[in-house]
Amino acid sequence: MSISVSKRGFFAEPGRGGKRPLLTISELSAYYGQLRALYDIEFQVMPGEVLAVIGANGAGKSTLLKSIVGMMNRGKTAHITGTIDMRGRRLERLNTEKIVDAGVTMVPEGRRLFPRLTVEENLMTGAYLARCRGKAPEKLEEIYDMFPRLGERRAQIVNQMSGGEQQMVAIGRALMSDPQVVLFDELSLGLAPSIVDDIYVKVGQINQAGVTCIVIEQDMKRALAVSNHVLVLLEGAVVLEGDPRELDVDQVTSAYFGSDIGRASA
Amino acid sequence: MTPEEFNIELYWSLIDIVNGLLTGSVIGGYYAMISIGLAMTFGVMRLVNLAHGDFIIVGAYLAVVMLNFLPVSPFFTLIIVVPLMFCLGYVLQRVLINHVSVQAMERKGLSTNYGLMAPILVTFGLGIFISHLLLGIFESDARQLKNSLAFSAIRISEDLNISLLRFIFFVIGVIILIALHLYLNRTHAGRAIRAASDDAEISPLMGINTAHVYGLALGISMAIAGAAGVMIGMIRTFQPFDGPQFLLIAFGAVIIGGLGSIVGSLVGGILLGITQVLAGTYFGPSAQLVGGYMLILFVLAFKPQGLFSR
Repeated sequence: MSISVSKRGFFAEPGRGGKRPLLTISELSAYYGQLRALYDIEFQVMPGEVLAVIGANGAGKSTLLKSIVGMMNRGKTAHITGTIDMRGRRLERLNTEKIVDAGVTMVPEGRRLFPRLTVEENLMTGAYLARCRGKAPEKLEEIYDMFPRLGERRAQIVNQMSGGEQQMVAIGRALMSDPQVVLFDELSLGLAPSIVDDIYVKVGQINQAGVTCIVIEQDMKRALAVSNHVLVLLEGAVVLEGDPRELDVDQVTSAYFGSDIGRASA
Repeated sequence: MTPEEFNIELYWSLIDIVNGLLTGSVIGGYYAMISIGLAMTFGVMRLVNLAHGDFIIVGAYLAVVMLNFLPVSPFFTLIIVVPLMFCLGYVLQRVLINHVSVQAMERKGLSTNYGLMAPILVTFGLGIFISHLLLGIFESDARQLKNSLAFSAIRISEDLNISLLRFIFFVIGVIILIALHLYLNRTHAGRAIRAASDDAEISPLMGINTAHVYGLALGISMAIAGAAGVMIGMIRTFQPFDGPQFLLIAFGAVIIGGLGSIVGSLVGGILLGITQVLAGTYFGPSAQLVGGYMLILFVLAFKPQGLFSR
């Protein structure tokens, strides 16, 4: 059963502009025990794009990101089926640390910093992989240039910092592994709107530097504004996909809430 | 009492106190060696390792075996015993203890209601297994690692001496502590160990293989336990079933210092040592142990998280 209303956008023009997709996700389903959380998800991510995944609570957005970084590979507790292909390399059976080594990482929901480590130590954990260790000092300086506030507070224990500063550390820590793709799970959760603006400016800079970004964002207008590819999830399935400049807000809203238009083809 | 008698009395009571502080501190360094490993496994893996004392005894017996083939000073056995114990610890963690962690139970779809109980029971069984294995191989005769320094002392004044060996162990204990501190704070692997201890679920996102990092942690813990075992074997006799008494000392130092705090285990060890020696001096030898446990009870009553816990 396909319930997508629109195949405009990326499937309509495969390999947009002749580029090869960076990530190709096919027939991806995810399960928590017996409970199915994702239904045959299919999409492609082009190099350098910002993909926004939107959907109501429980639509499966976080599960989708966790599936991509191997955090759903938890034996009988949680597992996935289907394929996740990154330029010919299959990621779906790999452990998280191998996926990170392949160049995909995530800024987790709620930041999840290491609370007893300092700012600099948190950042340095991101450079744990053998391929990152040599470049760690330069990377660290890049991150301090991007977030000067972290440079000033490098010796501070992170759980004494504000939410916005912690989010900067979480983003910096992900960048330390020199990723090609960064998944951002609920970046704006619990942050003041002005801080969220700043954070998204940084996401823009990261993307400008050539990093492909996948963003989960509750605020639909913001999601449409920052992205150049949108995926709307409803009850674990993709109901709408496309270029935000071509989609109108009503269409996205109805897909988001699962009203008639969103299920038109069902 | 004439003034002269009073002065002599005062002199001896001062000597008693200074002796208590010195000997206690030196013993404390040795207690710290016994407990750092326990503090480390608890701090990193929340693993209460009930076989810790038995690992110490294994270290001593490995030295016995080595000295059978190579009649050298027991100090040289450290060159073999420490790396060997590290490897044993790493393998043990990966093939046994990682399989009963909460995460592993979850993967297998087993109930995680027991939480930390499964690993505790495994280490308990491991301790029993090790002590019986040692009994089977070495029998129950008390052993000692013979060395030329056993009766040497450092003379501070006419009436103040401390055992040279214990002093050496104190110094080695402090060196190990500093080395471990630098390792945990300045190296990628050390930071990974601390990161995994803070959040095992997220640390793989940094590329950290938690199973490997936990292996390193138990390896380091057992390497230090092995070193402590060799030293204990040089100071006193040991038997296959001596493990639990070292486990108790280690628990004491760790409780006083703060669960999982490595610096805490040195300070805890020193406080425990001083309390025991002073209690022994003033209330007789039988008061040594009681004094130590009183201190533990006091700390538990007034600062249950320990003096150095963060």
